Amino acid sequence: MSRAILLVLALGQMLVSLAGAADVRLSGAGATFPAPLYTRWVAEYEKTHPDVKIDYRSIGSGGGVKALIDKTVAFGATDAPLTEKEIAAMGGTDAVVQFPATLGAVVPAYNLPGVSKPLNFTGAVLADIYLGRISTWDDAQIKQLNPDVNLPKTPITPVFRTDGSGTTHVFTSYLATQSPEFKGEVGLGKQVKWPLGQGGKGNEGVAAAIQQTAGAIGYIEHNYAVANKIAYGAVKNKAGKFVLASTQSVSAAGDASSDGMKGTVLRADAWNAAGDESYPISAFTYIVLYKQLDNIKSANEATALLGYLRWTLGPGQKFAPEMDYAPLSEKVRAAANAAISASTHQGKAIPANP
Amino acid sequence: MTTGSATTVMPPTSGTSRGSKGSGASSVQGGWRLGDAVLGLACRGSAALLALMLIALIGVLLHSAWPAIKQFGPGFLVSSEWRANEIERPLRDAAGAVVIRDGEVVTETLAPAFGALPVIWGTAVSSLIALVVAVPISLGAAIFLVRVAPKLRIAGAASFLIEFLAAVPSLAFGVWALFVLAPFFQEHIGPWLLRTFGEVHALRWMFYEKVTVAGRTIERPIALTGRDLLSGSLILAIMILPIITSVSRDVLRTVPRAQIEGTLALGATWWQSCMAMLRYGRSGLLGAIMLGLARAAGETMAVTMVIGNNNQISPSPFAPAQTMASVLANEFGEATEGLHRAALLYIALILLAMSLVFNVIARRLVVGRAARSPGS
Amino acid sequence: MRSIAEIRRRSISTMMFVLCAAGAALIVSLLLLVSGYLVWIGISSLSWEFLTAVPTGDVSNPGGMRHAIDGTIILVALASAVGVPVGVLAGVYLSEYSSEHVATGTLRFVADVLTGVPSIVVGILGYELVVVPVSRMTQSAVSFSGYAGAAALAFIMIPIVARTTEEMLRLVPRTYREGSLALGATRAQTIFRVVLPGAFGGIATGVMLAMGRIAGETAPLLFTALGSRLLTHNPAEPFPSLTLQIYTYATGPYPEQKRLAWAGLLVLLALLFVVNLSIRIVASRHARTRVGA
Repeated sequence: MSRAILLVLALGQMLVSLAGAADVRLSGAGATFPAPLYTRWVAEYEKTHPDVKIDYRSIGSGGGVKALIDKTVAFGATDAPLTEKEIAAMGGTDAVVQFPATLGAVVPAYNLPGVSKPLNFTGAVLADIYLGRISTWDDAQIKQLNPDVNLPKTPITPVFRTDGSGTTHVFTSYLATQSPEFKGEVGLGKQVKWPLGQGGKGNEGVAAAIQQTAGAIGYIEHNYAVANKIAYGAVKNKAGKFVLASTQSVSAAGDASSDGMKGTVLRADAWNAAGDESYPISAFTYIVLYKQLDNIKSANEATALLGYLRWTLGPGQKFAPEMDYAPLSEKVRAAANAAISASTHQGKAIPANP
Repeated sequence: MTTGSATTVMPPTSGTSRGSKGSGASSVQGGWRLGDAVLGLACRGSAALLALMLIALIGVLLHSAWPAIKQFGPGFLVSSEWRANEIERPLRDAAGAVVIRDGEVVTETLAPAFGALPVIWGTAVSSLIALVVAVPISLGAAIFLVRVAPKLRIAGAASFLIEFLAAVPSLAFGVWALFVLAPFFQEHIGPWLLRTFGEVHALRWMFYEKVTVAGRTIERPIALTGRDLLSGSLILAIMILPIITSVSRDVLRTVPRAQIEGTLALGATWWQSCMAMLRYGRSGLLGAIMLGLARAAGETMAVTMVIGNNNQISPSPFAPAQTMASVLANEFGEATEGLHRAALLYIALILLAMSLVFNVIARRLVVGRAARSPGS
Repeated sequence: MRSIAEIRRRSISTMMFVLCAAGAALIVSLLLLVSGYLVWIGISSLSWEFLTAVPTGDVSNPGGMRHAIDGTIILVALASAVGVPVGVLAGVYLSEYSSEHVATGTLRFVADVLTGVPSIVVGILGYELVVVPVSRMTQSAVSFSGYAGAAALAFIMIPIVARTTEEMLRLVPRTYREGSLALGATRAQTIFRVVLPGAFGGIATGVMLAMGRIAGETAPLLFTALGSRLLTHNPAEPFPSLTLQIYTYATGPYPEQKRLAWAGLLVLLALLFVVNLSIRIVASRHARTRVGA
């Protein structure tokens, strides 16, 4: 049975490839966190480059990295920078190019009927909520941060992601910097064991659980909260200011944390960044590829890939704010372009213009 | 069963066909003889595919789950830790103080850990509550269908409705539970329960949960959201009603009339004769219940939508929980880490084994019963 | 005069009678409650656009579910194309080749066991057995596809069809087979011209029931067909289905998409209702002709 399926499948793919023989087709896979922006990028890029077709599948960061290690995609996308193990699997630091594509933010969203002004949170309070230490909205610690808000006695229902996700990685990484207890008990990662609360699958599942439950709080992506008009709070940053997530405040966090970006494997933790303006739960999201693009068939395709990636770092950045992501600073873009330019195909440098 | 008797119907075809057919048809007949061979091959092949499917199912799951089976062994079944991430934290000594060596804090790293106890608990408790709710209703309805409905000439219509209920996809129940049952519970039943029983000390375990973090245990009220173990169980109960009802009905139908009339003639009341029926069909009824249990244990979509999806063991029916099927629906898609994926497949294997056992026992009971009764 | 015990006995009986009737009434009213609510909300959300438009990507004006309706039809057709012939042939084997009773006995047991496999487990098998190997073979990131989804659905379908076919073939009187064989027909002739036509109504019923069942499945498709927002008729791609789209919309936060989910459920349920009703009619007609013959 499965052999017949494979046969039909192979025939189908042959037809597809025959039909699109003139085009360059590139595939990428990975993070869901920046997927709305990546989808927009592809659509915009194909308008001006009709001969290039890019297929981005948002299957999750882990899946994207795995696909790249298996060399089944041209590029991978991940929210968490590659681990040492993953870099080793790709052939070591010298074999890898990793650069940030954009910045996103995670916001504490909540459902509190009657509260219209954005609430103030600190990392420690958020950690205590998720550890079960703070169990009602009128808790003294929350009141202290929001003296002029009339907080109800409603119990707090924390909502978390049940599926592995970059969003959880960013949120737990931030909380781990704010609460040693959170770090030691829950830890950080794409998927962690929450001591209590409701689970939802995907941003949608968390948002739906928040909307349906009075007193719920959850962490979702900034762009998702904005697009769906879900109330979210401000978070106290390293400088002691309460900041709401916005394109500017997230970009500021990126600027403040990008000093260490050098070489071809770029990474920086943008959470808990310094600066008055910085939104503290911000994060870079990355594109990963091989330095020697031998997983790509032709030089033509390698040129097209680099052309597209350079475009995302140049003209593409202006679409980021429209989708509620934060554009990269000049400095980060320069570092990223330098990293990409180190790529070769079959030992040859790749021409700059597609 | 009639397996044995059918055997005698099939004499070897070559012997009987020779004399009785005209010679003009012989080439056609030759084609049909080839047809016999082809048909035999096709039938045997198709039937063999059934065996292949089962072997593939068990083999693939076993193979893919092997890393987790090797790592955790049977202890997987009783471990309640389900954590996909590594934790790095300061090492504490027996007294709870941070260990400091050479002036530096010593850290320990906890490897990811996977245990199935929370989801086994969630599956077992939700299935049991579902059975407790559904079995009396189903048996009552089955008795009604067998004893009363035919006299009222509504047996056909009622049976149709119950069979249609069985054909409604679980997704429909899930959506209904999510948008109707859960909000209704959250807005009306939950607050009422809290007002009425919230302060009763003996029921405190229902309304408060204990959260232990870093050795400190905190008791906190459970938010009654309507997305919890109870909602999951109730929707399961609704979903297994039709199967238990219709199988029980079939079992009760096979009770000989004489049995019922006999008890009535001896002066038994209507209910006493029903009891006699239930006693007579008890093994078949047990089979019907087991079938319901098997369906409840493997049910995925509706439960995932309302059970709250938290891998925890809480005694309260109002706490979010997770079942084996729902953890698979929730986590399998993004589980790329090898051990995590293998652990999920281990759960799939346990779920498979469990539902196979329930099904086999159920079928033995129902079929065994039906085979003994005359005229089935 | 009646004794107290007798009165007690009678009143318990009456009470239990009422409870039994209440049980039946409860089940029927639950059905009416669930489907009534569904019809009520669904009809107000149903529109021509729902049936003909594809998702727009705009959450306040999400378009329709044409892609998902097409997807479900194609998935069920693909699954049936494999599942029906294989299932029927296996059923024929179980019933007509029962001289090989060790094999038929075992395989009957296997078929029963297979019908009890939880559908989420079938989905996971589909992922491990089709999606992963195809990804490896075609060197693509992830080969979620309509074919994988259809394979999972066929897996569910085959044992159901096999067992119903077998049951239905057993209802064909033994004398028919004997008569046919005595007239010199071969086994294939007997099966194709006498036995199968004799059980046609019953088998058709079983097949339709199985098709209805797989049309309503969600869990086996989660990790195989994956779902898609696009209108596609190429099963080599990630593939939409009515159930997957309803699940996505229902668990999401957008009110307009939730309305579409209700409308989708209504369409699905209406489809199943029609199938069940026609089965009922076919089955009763079939029963009548059998009695008549």
